[in-house]
Amino acid sequence: MKKHANFLRCVAAAVALGAVPALAETPADTLLMARNIDAISTFDPAQIGEVVTNEMIQNICDSLVSIDPEDEASVVPAMAKDWTVSDDGLKITFNLVEGATFPSGNPVTAKDVVWSMQRVLKLGFGNAATLTEYGFSEETAETDFVALDDYTFEMNLSRPYPIALILQAVASNRVANVLDSEFLKGEEVDGDYANKYLTTNSACVGPFALRQWNAGEVVILEANENYYGPAPKLKRIIIRHVAEAQAQRLLLEQGDIDVARDLGAEDLRDLKENPDLEVVSTPLHQLYYMGFDSAKPEFADDRVRLAFKYLVDYDALADTVMAFLGVPRASVVPLGALGALDEEEGQPFSLDLDKAKELLTEAGYGDGFSARLFVGTLPYVAPIAQHVQENAAKVGIDLQIEQMANAQLFSAFRGRDFDTIMLSWQTSVPHAHGMLSRHAVNPDNSDEAGLTMFPTWRASWYNEDFNKRVDEALFEKDEAKQIEMYKQLQLDHMMHGPFAYMFQLLDTAVLGSSVTTWKWNAFRVYYADIEKG
Amino acid sequence: MSASDLAGSAASNQSAPSIRWGRVAREVLRTVASVLVTILGLLALTFFIGRLLPLDPVLAILGDDASQEAYDRMVVQLGLDKPLWQQFLTYVVNSLQFDFGTSLTSGKPVTEDILRVFPATLELATVAMILGTGLGIPLGVIAAANRDTWIDQVVRVLSLIGYSAPIFWLGLLGLTVFYAGLGWVGGPGRIDILYQYDLTPRTGLYLIDSALAGRWDIFADVFSRIVLPASILAYGAMAYISRMTRSFMLEQFSQEYIVAARAKGASRTQMIWSHAFPNIAVQLVTVVALSYAFLLEGAVLTETVFAWPGFGRYLTTALLRADMNAVLGCTLVVGLIFITLNLLCDIFYRAFDPRTR
Amino acid sequence: MTDTPVTSSRTSLRAWLEAPAASTPRQARAQAAWRGWKRLLANRAALAGLIVLILLVVIAAIGPLLTPYSPMSQDLSVRLQPPSMLHPLGTDDLGRDIMTRILYGARITLMMALLVALIAGPIGLIMGATAGYLGGWFDIVAMRLVDIFLSFPSLILALAFVAALGPGIENAVIAIALSAWPPIARLARAEALTVRKSDYIAASRLQGASSTRLILRHVMPICLPSVVIRITLNMAGIILTAAGLGFLGLGAQPPSPEWGAMLASGRQFMLTNWWLAATPGAAIMLVSLAFNLLGDGLRDVLDPRDE
Repeated sequence: MKKHANFLRCVAAAVALGAVPALAETPADTLLMARNIDAISTFDPAQIGEVVTNEMIQNICDSLVSIDPEDEASVVPAMAKDWTVSDDGLKITFNLVEGATFPSGNPVTAKDVVWSMQRVLKLGFGNAATLTEYGFSEETAETDFVALDDYTFEMNLSRPYPIALILQAVASNRVANVLDSEFLKGEEVDGDYANKYLTTNSACVGPFALRQWNAGEVVILEANENYYGPAPKLKRIIIRHVAEAQAQRLLLEQGDIDVARDLGAEDLRDLKENPDLEVVSTPLHQLYYMGFDSAKPEFADDRVRLAFKYLVDYDALADTVMAFLGVPRASVVPLGALGALDEEEGQPFSLDLDKAKELLTEAGYGDGFSARLFVGTLPYVAPIAQHVQENAAKVGIDLQIEQMANAQLFSAFRGRDFDTIMLSWQTSVPHAHGMLSRHAVNPDNSDEAGLTMFPTWRASWYNEDFNKRVDEALFEKDEAKQIEMYKQLQLDHMMHGPFAYMFQLLDTAVLGSSVTTWKWNAFRVYYADIEKG
Repeated sequence: MSASDLAGSAASNQSAPSIRWGRVAREVLRTVASVLVTILGLLALTFFIGRLLPLDPVLAILGDDASQEAYDRMVVQLGLDKPLWQQFLTYVVNSLQFDFGTSLTSGKPVTEDILRVFPATLELATVAMILGTGLGIPLGVIAAANRDTWIDQVVRVLSLIGYSAPIFWLGLLGLTVFYAGLGWVGGPGRIDILYQYDLTPRTGLYLIDSALAGRWDIFADVFSRIVLPASILAYGAMAYISRMTRSFMLEQFSQEYIVAARAKGASRTQMIWSHAFPNIAVQLVTVVALSYAFLLEGAVLTETVFAWPGFGRYLTTALLRADMNAVLGCTLVVGLIFITLNLLCDIFYRAFDPRTR
Repeated sequence: MTDTPVTSSRTSLRAWLEAPAASTPRQARAQAAWRGWKRLLANRAALAGLIVLILLVVIAAIGPLLTPYSPMSQDLSVRLQPPSMLHPLGTDDLGRDIMTRILYGARITLMMALLVALIAGPIGLIMGATAGYLGGWFDIVAMRLVDIFLSFPSLILALAFVAALGPGIENAVIAIALSAWPPIARLARAEALTVRKSDYIAASRLQGASSTRLILRHVMPICLPSVVIRITLNMAGIILTAAGLGFLGLGAQPPSPEWGAMLASGRQFMLTNWWLAATPGAAIMLVSLAFNLLGDGLRDVLDPRDE
């Protein structure tokens, strides 16, 4: 990419003993990526909760299995070269790759897998829910995860969950990242399972290693030369923190970076016209939705929540504010997941003020009411919120928007301290159960239960029937029948569920001409496969 | 705004009596006592703000998905279950040892973080200061010498624009025009990321580090990046310095010795530079020193726009990420810097001002 | 007006104001004010500031009459239109007319600045005048408090307060006021210190006037002019702080047409649709500059060393 003649740089260089100014072209063996990495707070796989860090840790630490780059719905071997399932479907035996070594020189063994997975349960961060959801628990951890010998690891299930789901949700997840237990035991402080050490370091095997993280500045990953798998194409991946989308765009256009990750709809529209750059997108299994506090009388009525689904001009927003960033989706299950409704069935709503008014009148709120609407700070959030607000006003509902930092937004939602709220939810499995298990199931709605990991609980929404049907569908062995059950669940959830889903989000990046290969899907970005020309 | 208030307080001490040692000792004691009280108040205020923040530090550590048991455990671990006065006591004791706890967002001690990001802000502020002083003082003198003429008016409007423009807006405009449009300056960030690891930090000030290492290519890169944010920051400082200079000069012009000098036939230039100017030098040093504080405030917004990895950006990020330790640590450090600057100016003023001697 | 002759014609009022020797204290004060006013008018920059501010007030009052649009009504089909005859300043990302929003936003900006002045002014005045007059422990405590508040940059303090109180215009006003009163208090105290020892205060005290009465009737009125000027000078700072809060998403909430919030939401369109951020930014700068010019002029006029 051509570099602007840099006037001041030249002047300064000339002053400085006439030294030749450096070429600012990015080096061929290094990928320079601009991204807002403010959200990163740790590199401990047991603690990571952010999308941004998750993407990186998947390239730093291998799990038992990985997601197939060519088909996000299937898994491929990683630290486990193969696996077998017992006849009763309650035991998965993984055979590990032999000869892989950690950076410390320790060999990778089944003991490390056991230690790493038990550690997640014992630490009890949010990620423990990934395991507890499938019946693993701190109390049973010793028998849930067992090392038969150095290269054989056994996972014991409490119920015959679909194996494909366990592989996707657990074995490929960061909770199954294999950590160097021997080495990390030496880094423990006050029985923290090396949590403090892993906050800023990595001790695992993957195509890249974490070389440096300066909060709010940069993350540098370096290729692992002893990697047991195919060697990464590039030597270094540098992810530089650039919070402003505008600054990212400028850097990219000037050729100072190779990839920009957080651009807005208008910039993307512009850049699409630039022949030097390439705009690439992949749908995420992430939904942007509006939540309602069902403990409040007005939102306890299904018809009121349903009315909100008629207050959004989905297509107009998709063409403007959400262009490149999301597609309309009203079903709880994202497109691409097993059992998902198709595009049309999954989005039957459109802007219809009369219909909304009718539903509100039926529910006894023909005169409207007023409520607060909490939203976060992402660029597209404010326009969507204002759009809904204006349409709501037309049917008598007075919404007062309050914009807040994400940390605050989550606090309010978890604390059941909101009226209505807009946020997004991402699932890590391409399976209807991934969403339904949290968005339709609520085991116990009481305040004391404190089931904060269930958005249903946060919204004080409880439905016995859904609890039962989601469980039945999960254990249905006949796949055709199972898919039918999931479809019906989605349709019912659309009418009676706690949330109004609006968009399935897309991940969109812009690549400079230097980048020749960029590989990603809904769940991963494959840094090792990125190539520059 | 704040910087001028501090200058005001320094100026109000002009009438301090001439030095007598007994009195000096008493005054020093009184100053030390009042500084200590201020610091304690500062600690109370930051603590109070910290408790008021509707941000949940426990959630910030554990993540949105954590179970209630894990949550309760962390509350105990962080000592958030203890009575408030106990928490405050711990806070005071730790803070006085410069232990602000661990940052939730970087996993490192807040003190270490602050030391890491501070040179970036210091370098930016210093370059801005040099620019602001270099332009502000001459402009102020010129304005005073040409009082109420069109020159005075032009200087006035020019410098007041510096006061008036939203600094983040100037930053965005500057980037659009000078980086994107004209390509005259380097982009956002402090140094090209590829250079950053070629450079061994000695002072933490990249301009000096690169010059010491003889890496003039790096120096050029750093220079091209610092020019724009520093100029924009300098604009505000220049405005302040030129207004104060003008005011000080006008005061001198009305003094009898100037009138006398003029009567004896001293030239205009001579009168301004050899008679009036030396007399305001002490006041100016105070103003310039206090401008640093002003720049610290400007840095909060400028650094956000320029992706400058300094103190201001660290603070805003911490605020938005519910990183309570970092927020409190930063506010405390800013407060301490202000108090120290104020104190130093006070002492400097008493020691050197010809009128108080 | 009992101790002065009531004059009906302009010329005689002028003559009274410009008489070489004042015959009453009231006349002397009126004459000083008159001279100040004329000096202010002679200061073109200050005059320009004053005119802009008067215009702003007029616009804020009659703004709605100047535009056929509503500041809130959205129309996605005409979003991001560049300036045109229909939309002199273009439209924003939800198709709202920007000029309309700027006009309505003037009200919010003025209202915020005024409210801050109305909260911070009296607090600062009372604290400062009382501390200066009473002295003693009250003075020590009050001034330590002022020192503590002053040891933060005002934006950082306002940021912390608004984070604690929650976002919104009302809270932003409170937060800014909380960070704006200390310098006023310090100024009022300095003024109070000078009048405290004056003869007529002593005389009133001898006559048995209570401290409260003295502070309210004698000390505060004397501090008032400099406090008012100080607030005018601070207005620009207040407006910029409010905009800064809006920029960081902690001030006015959508869909309010507050300028800082407009600028914040427009900044993502800086490179594609510059007018979204440029116009509110320019509006903020213009008003802030007007306040600065006026304040600067006022300071010149009232600065005793210039007399």
